[in-house]
Amino acid sequence: MASIARSSLLRQVATKPALQNSIIARAAFHTTAKRDLLPPLPQRVVGTVNDAAPVPPPSPSHGSYHWTFDRLVAASLIPLTVAPFAAGSLNPTMDAVLCATLLIHSHTGFQNIIVDYVPQYRTPRARKAAIWGLNAATVVVGLALYEYETSDVGITETIKRLWKA
Amino acid sequence: MIAQRTGTTALRRVAANPNAVFTSTFAKAAMSQMQTRQATTQKISATEARSILDAQRLNRPVSPHLDIYDKQQTFFGGSIWQRFTGSGLSGGLYVFGAAYLAAPLLGWHLESASLVSAFGALPFAVKSGVKFLVAWPFAFHAFNGVRHLALDLGMFMKRQQIVKGGWYIWGASLVSGLYLAFFL
Repeated sequence: MASIARSSLLRQVATKPALQNSIIARAAFHTTAKRDLLPPLPQRVVGTVNDAAPVPPPSPSHGSYHWTFDRLVAASLIPLTVAPFAAGSLNPTMDAVLCATLLIHSHTGFQNIIVDYVPQYRTPRARKAAIWGLNAATVVVGLALYEYETSDVGITETIKRLWKA
Repeated sequence: MIAQRTGTTALRRVAANPNAVFTSTFAKAAMSQMQTRQATTQKISATEARSILDAQRLNRPVSPHLDIYDKQQTFFGGSIWQRFTGSGLSGGLYVFGAAYLAAPLLGWHLESASLVSAFGALPFAVKSGVKFLVAWPFAFHAFNGVRHLALDLGMFMKRQQIVKGGWYIWGASLVSGLYLAFFL
């Protein structure tokens, strides 16, 4: 409660001066240490001010096709998730298709997160490590899901049994 | 400042014209009375100029950064929570998959039968709590995923619809999560 009142009071004070001043005021007001969430890396100068912004070569497989593919995979998960409940029975092939689609959806989702938060131009090595780490993890999980689907009861049936346990 | 300059330019033009005898003598006399300012300038090489500019470029503000976003406007809007819930669910799948593959080497038992018997032995509150921690992110991700697909098609793009839609997703996912965890 106190923190809500405090922040609204501060916002009234902080409307007039610049953002920097309000940050300093807040930092001075609070007794806990200020922790920056993901502080920006130190800047560096590349090229001259008159260089044109680099335009990447057009690549639909990394752009529009990829975007559309992502949406198609996401949309296909809706009927795949609903199907076992609508049919009232479980088909091993459908369960395997669901697992494969989930794996692709997870992989591209994690890829999007890496592309957004580990930029190529600032942290090229961390980017490469993250992308290849993800590729390795996806292969491992794909193998594990294959094992689980072929030698155990499958994902949907497991969740059903856990829910009824 | 600008008016003064305009006058100076006009005077210069007149002074440069050799045909206008009357005005040229008058203008030259007027020009000789004008103030001049000797600016102190310094010749520097191209590389020195470049280093000064580079030093200034290093002090430019970074944009955009997390500080610029208004938490109350966009944080609960659903977009970042789609990522939170999705990475939680997919992270769980990845951890379980890797553990299942490593289980024979480490002597763990992660087959469905032992998982079900272990989970069934837990008290009702713990079971329901764990179920809610899975069911709520799943419901949120599913509902908000459908909403995002609709947004991708250009539907519900009015400001009020976006704001209200975000809160409907929170309500619906919490109700569904509680139902799935406690009543199913």
